[in-house]
Amino acid sequence: MIWEEDTKKAIWGHCFLPDPEMIHQVALLVAAFRGRVITITPYLHGEEDTPKKLSIAYHFDIRGVTITSTIALQEGLHKVKSITPVLKSADWNEREMQEMYHVTVEGHPNPQRLFLDDSINLTEDTMVPLSVAMSGATSTTLWEKVMASPKEGRGKNE
Amino acid sequence: MSSYTVPIGPIHVVLEEPIYFKLAVEGETVKGVDITAGHVHRGMEFLTMQRNIYQNITLTERVCSLCSNNHPFTYCMALEKIARIEVPVRAEFLRVVADEIKRIASNLFNAGMLTHIIGFDSLFMHIMQIREIIQDVKETLYGNRMDLAANCIGGVRYDLTAEQGKYLTTNLQKLKKPLAEIIKLFMTNKLIRLRTEGVGVLPRDKAIEYGVVGPVARGSNVTYDVRKENPYAAYNYLDFDLITETSGDVHARALVRLKEIVQSISIIEQAVKLMPEGPTCPDYLPVIPAGEAVAKSEAPRGELLYFVKTNTSDIPERIKWRVPTFMNWEALQVMMPGCKLADIPVIVGSIDPCISCTER
Repeated sequence: MIWEEDTKKAIWGHCFLPDPEMIHQVALLVAAFRGRVITITPYLHGEEDTPKKLSIAYHFDIRGVTITSTIALQEGLHKVKSITPVLKSADWNEREMQEMYHVTVEGHPNPQRLFLDDSINLTEDTMVPLSVAMSGATSTTLWEKVMASPKEGRGKNE
Repeated sequence: MSSYTVPIGPIHVVLEEPIYFKLAVEGETVKGVDITAGHVHRGMEFLTMQRNIYQNITLTERVCSLCSNNHPFTYCMALEKIARIEVPVRAEFLRVVADEIKRIASNLFNAGMLTHIIGFDSLFMHIMQIREIIQDVKETLYGNRMDLAANCIGGVRYDLTAEQGKYLTTNLQKLKKPLAEIIKLFMTNKLIRLRTEGVGVLPRDKAIEYGVVGPVARGSNVTYDVRKENPYAAYNYLDFDLITETSGDVHARALVRLKEIVQSISIIEQAVKLMPEGPTCPDYLPVIPAGEAVAKSEAPRGELLYFVKTNTSDIPERIKWRVPTFMNWEALQVMMPGCKLADIPVIVGSIDPCISCTER
């Protein structure tokens, strides 16, 4: 790990992890210090005319200290273990990485698409628009509550 | 009791920008929320990798309108780190001035929207009228009411003359009294309190777990502000309070934003007073070598991070930014369950969402 202190006394750390699996251990450490994921940056790099390599930089925060841990994925094996079960703050970042860079995130608790997709439609019959729900729900719900409440104490004055 | 699904969006009157919510509702009570983004995804990160590092200053300013200044500002800070460029002290103060002016306008906008959502339209119009003071300041000093174009690599593209400094502080003075009245109203008005207190509660432990930032975090008593934790520009020279609230509800988040405006006014006044004479930007076009850097700033909605990786060409290899709202969306999973249908707009408004930022 290389640590740097800038002219304003802010501390920044960065390291390269030789084994992509190690990111999980880093996440456990960050969680132990009550840190969080700031974001995750997948990026392609390499010389022109050669196949690009994919690396992922994980940016963490522990009490104001910013740490960047980078892993390099093997060519053709764009797969990482999810750190969301350890650090909830990785959730959207991992889902975005999955969609934008086709990285398979294994073990993500909610791997559904984050951004727009054909699977989203507004034609389900079960749906009630908010405006309708807000204007009509009160009276219906109130009545349902009255009907569902125990009979004692109700209807004495009927 | 009836269970049904309520869709909100992608286009809806309670949303300033398009996003899609699918709410599981039982009677009038929300049981769960599912969020789908992507309706204004413009592929801006990809676009930055098709342009050169200098063109990207203009492009990043257009990620968002309300926190537009923070994007080129943080992007420039990352480049300056890579190239080890020392920013002139006067430019650091001028960067703070631009940033805090934008914060005032942004926070006032959210306070106005909140009152509009709860149906207090006379206060909404009053707040927006007050906001015009700061909009006029932006137009006068920068020539534009939204995008200031204040930043360049190694400094700023504008300066403040003594006369302009006086104009700025005079206008800030005009803000103080109405702002104090608005804060008092938010703290005491029965309508505001009824619609915001105890609504959309995000407990402190959940705020930490979900990694929320900005006024959403500080409203839940998380004492994190990049300006304090990772000082940048001239913030280390300036004295200001870190505003927090403890209740974690809509009311707390609104109060944090309003009280931060008071701090922003003080920060600008100090900056104008303490700003030394000197250059504001390098007199050459900086060349950025190969390297990578991370820079952070406190945008009106919270922590903004830029990761920039350059190679030997002037086209960046990768630019990635993480906007504050990106982290705050998921916290709606905690804020919404248990709330009433009528509270949904005010809870969504309370995270001050920026969808253009989220999707880029």
